[in-house]
Amino acid sequence: MKRLTYLLPIGIVAVAVLMASIFIVDEREKALVLQFGQIKRVKEDPGLAFKIPLIQEVVYYDDRILALDTDTIEVTPSDDRRLVVDAFARYRIADVVQFRQAVGVGGVAAAETRLSSILNAQIREVLGADQVTSDTILSEDRRGLMNRIRDQAQGEARSLGLNVVDVRLKQTNLPEQNLNATFERMRAEREREAADEIARGNEAAQRVRAQADRTVVELVSEARKEAEIVRGEADAERNGIYAQAYGADQNFFQFYRSLSAYEEALKGENSSMVIAPDSEFFEFFKSSQPGAAE
Amino acid sequence: MAGHSGGPWGGGSGGDGQNGGGNRGNNGGGKRPGDEGSSIPDIDEVIKKGQDQLRVLMGGRGGGGPRDPQGGGEGGPTFSRGTFVIGGLAAVVLWGLASFYTVKPEEQSVELFLGEFSAIGTPGLNFAPWPLVTAEVINVTSERTEDIGDDFNSRTESGLMLTTDANIVDIDFQVVWNIVDPAKFLFNLAQGPETVRAVSESAMREIIAASELAPILNRDRGLIAETAKTSIQGTLDTYESGINIVRVNLDKADPPREVIDAFREVQAAEQERDRLERRADAYANTVLAGARGEAAQLLEEAEGYRAQVVNEAEGDASRFSAVLAEYDKAPEVTRKRLYLETMEKVLGDVDKVILGETGGEGQGVVPYLPLNELRKTTEGN
Repeated sequence: MKRLTYLLPIGIVAVAVLMASIFIVDEREKALVLQFGQIKRVKEDPGLAFKIPLIQEVVYYDDRILALDTDTIEVTPSDDRRLVVDAFARYRIADVVQFRQAVGVGGVAAAETRLSSILNAQIREVLGADQVTSDTILSEDRRGLMNRIRDQAQGEARSLGLNVVDVRLKQTNLPEQNLNATFERMRAEREREAADEIARGNEAAQRVRAQADRTVVELVSEARKEAEIVRGEADAERNGIYAQAYGADQNFFQFYRSLSAYEEALKGENSSMVIAPDSEFFEFFKSSQPGAAE
Repeated sequence: MAGHSGGPWGGGSGGDGQNGGGNRGNNGGGKRPGDEGSSIPDIDEVIKKGQDQLRVLMGGRGGGGPRDPQGGGEGGPTFSRGTFVIGGLAAVVLWGLASFYTVKPEEQSVELFLGEFSAIGTPGLNFAPWPLVTAEVINVTSERTEDIGDDFNSRTESGLMLTTDANIVDIDFQVVWNIVDPAKFLFNLAQGPETVRAVSESAMREIIAASELAPILNRDRGLIAETAKTSIQGTLDTYESGINIVRVNLDKADPPREVIDAFREVQAAEQERDRLERRADAYANTVLAGARGEAAQLLEEAEGYRAQVVNEAEGDASRFSAVLAEYDKAPEVTRKRLYLETMEKVLGDVDKVILGETGGEGQGVVPYLPLNELRKTTEGN
């Protein structure tokens, strides 16, 4: 009983001391061992480690890639067209000692403020450089610009113990007050396009109609020509037939044709004739002998 | 920090008070005595005691009594031994609960041995002896979705993007992703989903900024989604994020709301143009068909005329030839007969006034003829 009363507190104290002297660094962390505020040791690899209880304390820092979104800022590229730009950065705490020295106890929050102002300055500088126009920003060259921002920010962030993994532009938009002008221009462009469409439609329609009308005239006149040719041929053939037939005996033709002409011409009941009875027809009115009239 | 101190279970164990120390040693030592024992000699003893206690629990109740310095073997009554056994059992159960965990089919777990990555746990029952090994279970295969450009989000994320020809286009898209490497995902990225979001938005804006408006609206949607996917994946790979972009859905690529009416008008105008052209075509078709019909009619009429005229001529000619043939046989008689027959026919049908013998002055009568009356009688008939 007596031994137990001694052993138990001793055991508890031993375990407590043990617990206070070991610490575990997670895969996601880096740790700094401080002795009265002085940096004693850096533990970057995960695993178990020891410290002197009470005298040393451990500060953990995130070893993962951290995110930072910049504020939206307005930049003026060299063509004076203003753009609203924001970006994000991905960074890592590369050097915990330097990080601790640079930002003190403020930690990541303090680092973010510092990094954010570095980024803003670099964005302004790169996007406001002489040869950079808003057309450059809005083109394939954007990636190059982002890399330049990253590399320049990298240089400055190194003093904070940070490694800037990536900087990327997110929005590169027009300022609010320029939006309406752009919308207006887009609208005008569309209206022009619409008017153009209608005009072209009318043009095409008119062309089609005119062509059709022309073709109609061509077709009909061509047909008329063909028809006249046919009629001409027909008349010629008729004349030929008549000439051949009637040429056989011209005298008889005259006689015969005259007779049929009389018959045709004097047909009907609306003809009246005043005749002297001295024609050949009335030869026998006076005598029954042929030739008496003469 | 999550698995670092074992949070709630650590507290529970401490609450057991007297038994706590022994159980702790038991947990650790049962599995890996070498790892710890070599560095902290004190622990060895505790482990041995713990093993003894375990033997008591497992083997027989009274077995190890005398050898146990803490469990009340020294003058400890049966009552206190019972308490000890129950407490020990409870601790073992708690330890078991803390150490065994299940991984569902869509999940994987990442096990950390003293904070250091040790293994990936596959679906099923997994064992991570607390507190040396901690495990984190992550849903791996399930697809996660980030919607970007929806209007209810903040101004910066509203889908208005500037194209290279200084037009504005409204883009909404969806990034579907899952995790291929849970260890990388856990250890490399502080803000996984946010990173996917930010990288996706940046990639899409970069693509849009390098493209003109018309192709975005019309045909390149699939291409844009594909390019975006490659770009996002590339960026995330440089972060060693362990994230896989499954696909990018381009939900919307429209002109901004403010100008969409103008775009619709263009479409209407395109339709109108089409309509105008079609109507002109219809007119042309009608008119041309009419013209072809008219042409055909003209030609047919001409052909008909030819047939008619030729037939008439041939008929007349043949009749004449026939008559002539007869005439040649008896010219005088035929001639007389034809004459008389014709005159008979002609004079038979005609109103006639036959004036008598007047000699050479026959013409003198003509002026006195009542021609008007003659005409009336004809009309009267």
